[in-house]
Amino acid sequence: MIPVYGFLEGDTIGLLILADEQELLAVTAAKLQAAARLRARLDGPLALFVNGHAVELEATVQQAGIKALDRLDVRRRGAR
Amino acid sequence: MAPDDPDDWIDLCRKLDWEFSYVSERDVFPEVQSGHPWLPASDWADWDEPFRTTYGRYVAQQQEKEASVRAVRDAVGGLDDYRQLPAGWLNGLKLHAATLPLAEFAAVIGNLRAARFGRDGAWRGAALFAALDEMRHTQIPLLLMHELVRWDPQFDWTHKFFHTDNWVAIAARHLCDELLLASDAVEFAIATNFVFETGFTNLQFVGLSSLAHGVGDRMFEKMVNSIQTDETRHSQMGAPVLAKIVERDRPYAQYLLDKWFWRSWLLFAVVTGFSMDYLTPLPNRTSSFKEFMQEWVIEQFLQTLGRFGLERPWYWDTFLQGLDHYHHMVYASAYSYRASVWFNPVLPGPDERAWLRAKYPESWGDFDPIWERITARWQESDPGNEFAVHGTAIVSFCDLCQMVLSNGTPRENTASVLDHEGRRYVFCSRPCRWIFEREPQRYAGHKDVVKRVLAGEAPANLLALVRESFGLRHETWGKDAFGGDYPWLQRDRA
Repeated sequence: MIPVYGFLEGDTIGLLILADEQELLAVTAAKLQAAARLRARLDGPLALFVNGHAVELEATVQQAGIKALDRLDVRRRGAR
Repeated sequence: MAPDDPDDWIDLCRKLDWEFSYVSERDVFPEVQSGHPWLPASDWADWDEPFRTTYGRYVAQQQEKEASVRAVRDAVGGLDDYRQLPAGWLNGLKLHAATLPLAEFAAVIGNLRAARFGRDGAWRGAALFAALDEMRHTQIPLLLMHELVRWDPQFDWTHKFFHTDNWVAIAARHLCDELLLASDAVEFAIATNFVFETGFTNLQFVGLSSLAHGVGDRMFEKMVNSIQTDETRHSQMGAPVLAKIVERDRPYAQYLLDKWFWRSWLLFAVVTGFSMDYLTPLPNRTSSFKEFMQEWVIEQFLQTLGRFGLERPWYWDTFLQGLDHYHHMVYASAYSYRASVWFNPVLPGPDERAWLRAKYPESWGDFDPIWERITARWQESDPGNEFAVHGTAIVSFCDLCQMVLSNGTPRENTASVLDHEGRRYVFCSRPCRWIFEREPQRYAGHKDVVKRVLAGEAPANLLALVRESFGLRHETWGKDAFGGDYPWLQRDRA
């Protein structure tokens, strides 16, 4: 498991999310949505950024080269 | 025999200094304690401050102040008086009570360092009086709040707070250890006496004091007014030190101002911002936190910068944006993780949110949907079912200020990751990252809460973290101030 800093667009705080190396980034994004859902929720197509660079939601955590304590942003597609 | 009128002899005493013959001046006042730049005593000979008091006068004045505080306490400082105060205000009081007294006690050390290593006799004498001041600033809130512990155990955090590894305490210690315990005499004078005491404490002494008056908390009003009279005196040590450093090393003076304005801002945004914009009952609010900042901090700070020929901090635009966002970001975060703090936050209702929208037209549109969601969760839950309306994930923290990663806006959090000498750091903002990068040797070894969790030094389970590391138990951890039961909050159950 890889701990990453997750930021959901519309939320007020960064959350620590545990990502499995083999999981799809869409799953990681869903974990962040679930962790932040008390305060924020994004509907519609999403985009994911690792340390500011766009990555495909269909890639795995490992394929995206995500390292411990990277910054992950989940945003509405087209928001950035 | 001394003349009767102290004005005839005071300057002979307060400016008393001498030349050393058995040791060098640099050994007596080493730079590591006295501060940078190191200047010979002759360069400090014109140092002065306006109060020029004597020990006799000091004791007489302080005795009068103590008697006055005691009289108010006897009249309106009893348990029954506190019971009549609004719940929100009382919880703002818990926030202040915890962060104030032992920080003041740490300031005793900072002032005593200046009383020994300050470079002019008058500076050292004034710093000694300031150390005595800070003792009473420790003792008064401890005494006043002690009465309340038997009624509400959260008031026990007045003394307990700094002794815990609660996340707010870690942040407060990180600030106070550097500001008050570890800084040399020059940095202490500029950071504490000048930036902190001359600038930001106006928020407490003017802003919160006036709100306390409106709410009817005469004891708090009296306490901060009494403390203010001391601060007004000893904050005067800052300007003459700053003037000297500007003259000899302007970039260093600018750096200290930039660094400490930012660090002080983050602290006051939380401690005072919460109280002014969320915990003070709406009918008693006069101005918003932002308005108080604009009137009592920013205006004076900019005037002072102009007087010394210094620039605005390079992050000024970021700071101005933060006025509209930062304390709102942290409050919404803290409310949704309220079991991790020792006071009970208030859920802003429709009227409060309308007031906030009027006061923060630029930013409130980003925050209102958050409170809509939290309110909706309460509507689906029974009153008192706190954990149905509470975050569960571990939150993350800045490696400089140790506060939660809640800087920027809901649209764009400004956190950034930095790799430094094989270790990964995260910062809530560009100024925090900049401060770290200026002095990494000073900050690199500190572990924030997440690093403690990942190192196995703190539990990863939130409830265990709250209990074991944050030092809270059910009686003391934060809950909604009204248990989620508000007259305006309709629970429409089928």
